[in-house]
Amino acid sequence: MAIPVLMPRQGQSVETCILGQWYKSVGETVKTGDILFSYETDKASFEEEAKADGVLLAVFFSEGDEIPVLSNIAVIGQPDESYEEFVNGASTVSETAEIIVPDEAPVVFEFEVEPGDLSDHLRISPLAKNMAEKLGVDIYALKGSGPHGRIIARDVEAAATTVSKPETVAARVKPKVQAPTAVYAKGNDFEIRPVSNIRKLIANAMHQSLQNSAQLTHHLSADARQLQRLRKKFKTEFAEGKIKQNITINDLVCYAVIRALEKFPQANTHFLGDKMKWFSKVHLGLAVDTDRGLMVPALKNASDFSLSGLSAQLQQLAAQARGGNINPDLLSPEAATFTISNLGNYGVEMFTPVINLPQVAILGVCAIIPRPKEIEEGVYGFVPMIGLSLTYNHQALDGGEATRFLAEIRNQIETIEY
Amino acid sequence: MPKNQFINPAEVRKPGYIEFNPIPVNQYNKTIEEEKENFSKEDFLRIYHDMSVIREFETMLNLIKIRGEYNEIKYDHPGPAHLSIGQEAAAVGMAYTLGVEDFIFGSHRSHGEILAKGLSAIHKLNDAQLEQIMDTHFDGKTLAPVKTSHKGTVKELAIKFLLYGTLAEIFARETGFNKGLGGSMHAFFTPFGVYPNNAIVGGSGDISVGAALYKKVNRKNGIIVANIGDASMACGPVWEGLAFATMDQFTELWEGDMKGGLPLIINIMNNQYGMGGQTCGETMGYEIAARIGAGLNKDQMHAERVDGYNPLAVIDAYKRKKKILEEKRGPVLLDVLTYRYSGHSPSDASSYRSKEEVEAWEKQDSIVWFGNELVNTGIVTENVLEEIRAEISQLVTSTLKLAIDDEVSPHMNMKKFPNLIGEMMFSNQSVDKMEDCPVEVNHPLAENPRVKQLETKERFMFDENGKPFSKIKQYALRDGIFEAIVDRFYKDPTLIAYGEENRDWGGAFAVYRGLTEALPYHRLFNSPISEASIVGTAIGYAMCGGRVIPEIMYCDFLGRAGDEVFNQLPKWQAMSGNVLKMPVVIRVSVGSKYGAQHSQDWTALAAHIPGLKVVFPVTPYDAKGLMNSALQGTDPVIFFESQRVYDIGEMFHKGGVPAEYYEIPIGEPDIKRAGTDVTILTIGATLYRALDAAKILEEKYNLSAEVIDARSMVPFNYDLVIESVKKTGRIVISGDASGRGSFLRDLASNITELAFDYLDAPPVVVGSRNWITPAYELEDSFFPQPQWIIDAIHERILPLPGHICENDFTEAEQLDRNARGI
Repeated sequence: MAIPVLMPRQGQSVETCILGQWYKSVGETVKTGDILFSYETDKASFEEEAKADGVLLAVFFSEGDEIPVLSNIAVIGQPDESYEEFVNGASTVSETAEIIVPDEAPVVFEFEVEPGDLSDHLRISPLAKNMAEKLGVDIYALKGSGPHGRIIARDVEAAATTVSKPETVAARVKPKVQAPTAVYAKGNDFEIRPVSNIRKLIANAMHQSLQNSAQLTHHLSADARQLQRLRKKFKTEFAEGKIKQNITINDLVCYAVIRALEKFPQANTHFLGDKMKWFSKVHLGLAVDTDRGLMVPALKNASDFSLSGLSAQLQQLAAQARGGNINPDLLSPEAATFTISNLGNYGVEMFTPVINLPQVAILGVCAIIPRPKEIEEGVYGFVPMIGLSLTYNHQALDGGEATRFLAEIRNQIETIEY
Repeated sequence: MPKNQFINPAEVRKPGYIEFNPIPVNQYNKTIEEEKENFSKEDFLRIYHDMSVIREFETMLNLIKIRGEYNEIKYDHPGPAHLSIGQEAAAVGMAYTLGVEDFIFGSHRSHGEILAKGLSAIHKLNDAQLEQIMDTHFDGKTLAPVKTSHKGTVKELAIKFLLYGTLAEIFARETGFNKGLGGSMHAFFTPFGVYPNNAIVGGSGDISVGAALYKKVNRKNGIIVANIGDASMACGPVWEGLAFATMDQFTELWEGDMKGGLPLIINIMNNQYGMGGQTCGETMGYEIAARIGAGLNKDQMHAERVDGYNPLAVIDAYKRKKKILEEKRGPVLLDVLTYRYSGHSPSDASSYRSKEEVEAWEKQDSIVWFGNELVNTGIVTENVLEEIRAEISQLVTSTLKLAIDDEVSPHMNMKKFPNLIGEMMFSNQSVDKMEDCPVEVNHPLAENPRVKQLETKERFMFDENGKPFSKIKQYALRDGIFEAIVDRFYKDPTLIAYGEENRDWGGAFAVYRGLTEALPYHRLFNSPISEASIVGTAIGYAMCGGRVIPEIMYCDFLGRAGDEVFNQLPKWQAMSGNVLKMPVVIRVSVGSKYGAQHSQDWTALAAHIPGLKVVFPVTPYDAKGLMNSALQGTDPVIFFESQRVYDIGEMFHKGGVPAEYYEIPIGEPDIKRAGTDVTILTIGATLYRALDAAKILEEKYNLSAEVIDARSMVPFNYDLVIESVKKTGRIVISGDASGRGSFLRDLASNITELAFDYLDAPPVVVGSRNWITPAYELEDSFFPQPQWIIDAIHERILPLPGHICENDFTEAEQLDRNARGI
């Protein structure tokens, strides 16, 4: 009976062997112990002896073939004997896909994300903490998505994207009445209280501004008689119902500043380190004092408005800011191209406002104070003068430019027409 | 097992008896009178002088230790002093006939042997040679203190130099023979043929065999004497050394002039005590240590017991035994009977022996007896001896004064140079070959069958379409190691390799296939299955100036060579004051599939020990490049290999593994897959599972993982890893070692310290469990798997949306496992 010749298995890890050489050819008589062929694994070469007497009826592989171990590679038998049954399965190595069937359902371990707890120990990764500081994100307002509610980088990243379009700020600003302030610790003469979220945001923004730019302030005052004349006129007309909009001194100043900005586009920019962003329109930021702290909503395309339109828009904006229903997009420092902060109502005579980066300047508007002025040659009188404090980023603007710009504002204020 | 040695059952099954030859015991019986024909008056006096020098030197140390004073010189020596007072005749007798080119190795109790061999060498060296040796040792720093005030001959100066160098070394002075880094138990001075003494009992038992192997293989003149204690004959490594030294192959298989036994004398300094244990009658059963020789080979190691209280008896034995070694019939075992009056150490009150016993030996004191004999036989007068003793007392006194003078003999200034010792841990040299002479090989490299076969292999795993070539056609990791090693065999004539199944079989994992054809027996051979001797002999071989690759077949067997790998190999470069180099590359194969004692990754053990370089490449390109670097260097390298990947092809290095020589610096990790969101740092073959994990993270969680292969553990340059962590903020460290105490933990701890501000989560270690390694079928629950890495990321670093953990990586589980110690 014919018997197959197998490719031997040399060691458990061997899956295939390379056929070296046939020492017998088909039709040749072989005896048990005759060397039939040589083969090699990746480790060694071997010779295989015939395991039976007979004639080499067929060989299924040639020298150099890579052959799976235990394959039939030849048949020994009696002449004319059939070897058909051994032919099948003779194939050289081919890729076979293994199908792995999971034998049981995976064990599920419950994973809990605990919310970040303000009063408890705050879990935050060092990276997230550093990122938050850099991006001005309030970590106490974040909900950590890491293990055990740890605040991790992705939480800060997510918050930073929304802070720049500060939905979260607005959302957080929403609660109308601030919860009674918790007290961390008390002494005989002091209490330690947590800082509110908006406070932290402002603190950070202000600190960042002073740290990351070269700010200085020029002070100058403008003759306010024209302002006062117009104001008086509008007031009367408004009271008489002749006009719908009660145009204030602030509105007039804003209007004048916009006109000045149109002449000094370099002051209507964002400074971005290695580049500057120049705007074709003026988006005016207006500092508004609210119950929750300082907010600076932006009036988009302020340069498009007439004086009364401007007045109406600014009034609406301030109301929204105070009411907490302001579009958060407008609170971003990037939303405005220039900011005006008016402390004139409070009698402040001079101050150094802090720039809302990346804007390059901010105008502080001060109180109107009567100051001695030469009215005619040799004749002096007291003239109401309005103080103007321009803080600018010296990284973006030079002193001369800033001064000329401020003088232009004065000029616009003194010559404002309506 | 070589095929040409036929084990004939008909022969080996025959009945019969083993017959032993009688082992001589104290058979020397000549009188001084009779020895006058062999020794001149000067010879006799020299023997007396040398014994007396040792006696006075050690008496001084004893007094310093127990009274803090010698000849009114006060000194406090807090370090060790294991004295051999009483054993001087044995030491001087041993050293008397030895040439400068003969090397001695010793024990913790070897001051006497250092001085005896040093004095013998000084006697044999001429003035010019002595001056050259003294002037060049540490640029004359050891010589300077004694040279300043010296008036007299060069030989007299050399004796002062010997005593001073030894004492300064004992007192840890920078001017000592080994910069004070060896100390009492390790002092040595190779130019006089004094090789390391060893504070580990029996430590020289296998190292000295390697030294003898060096002499033989490199055809160097001289013999090796291993001075070891009678109690050390109980130590496994000593037996392993003896088994290695008496291998049949030296006479049966080694060819040409290499045929023949090792030039080695195992010299048992038999003072009859091992600390307080009495070796005859209590702690051993040999009764007479010379009996051991009969158990080791047919020649019974030419063993005999010699009366070590008569220097002439020892000299006589050495003259006869050296002849046997010259005839290549070594090794020889001598049992030199002696006795120490001093305790094991100054803290030893000798409570284990009677006063009568000590006094009885003191009555037979060899120096007193020998002096009396010289006077009685009319060779000298008592006056001459007294003069000698007075001179010696003066010599030892002035040596002591110099050695304790902080001005001339300062300690190392560690305040000013805080890294002084650190800089001595590695020699960091780049040396093509340890000696410049022709290499002995059997044929040109190009004719080697393996080399020819490799020409047909695919050196990059994938074809141009990115489809992998079949396994058997790929140039594999084992080929990379082979290429580096065979290249070095053709460059460095001193290079030898051995271990279990290194010849014929080609190594258990076929790394050496082809080497058998290329190399004569003495460059590649099978060792006994005894890891202590494999590593221990390699240390001795390297100490003498050779380069060597010992192989540990499974990492799990490292423990069998524990003392050699942990105490000897890493220490000698620094302990010698950088006199010695240690170009030993130990190949250690890390197993799998074979259960608890054949599958362990012990990289941490090697990395923990200062003084070893540790690498674990797992790609063919890295394996070849790192093996080249290891073999080009002069430092001990533990070269881990993984049995999981011996057959893996090169899938990272574009263009495949270069056929030509290149080096990859040891200590540089490598990015195997770039990524931005999380770093996975791996040791060993875990790399491939980490890559699988990275793929899943990418496809399933849109998370880009950077995978870094540590490649080396010692040294380790953290820059690349820190940069990666700065980028990703997250890191998992994984390897096949059991997590607890692993090098993975070391990496994690350093990364935490170095990159804390950049971390978004603590570095998480995914190691193997702290269990026995189970059978192959259960290995997935023991070794880190891709899923483990993902689970750990989800649980500890960055929760992955929708991920379901299969493994418990919670903190609670970590606490619990630690609390239970599993």
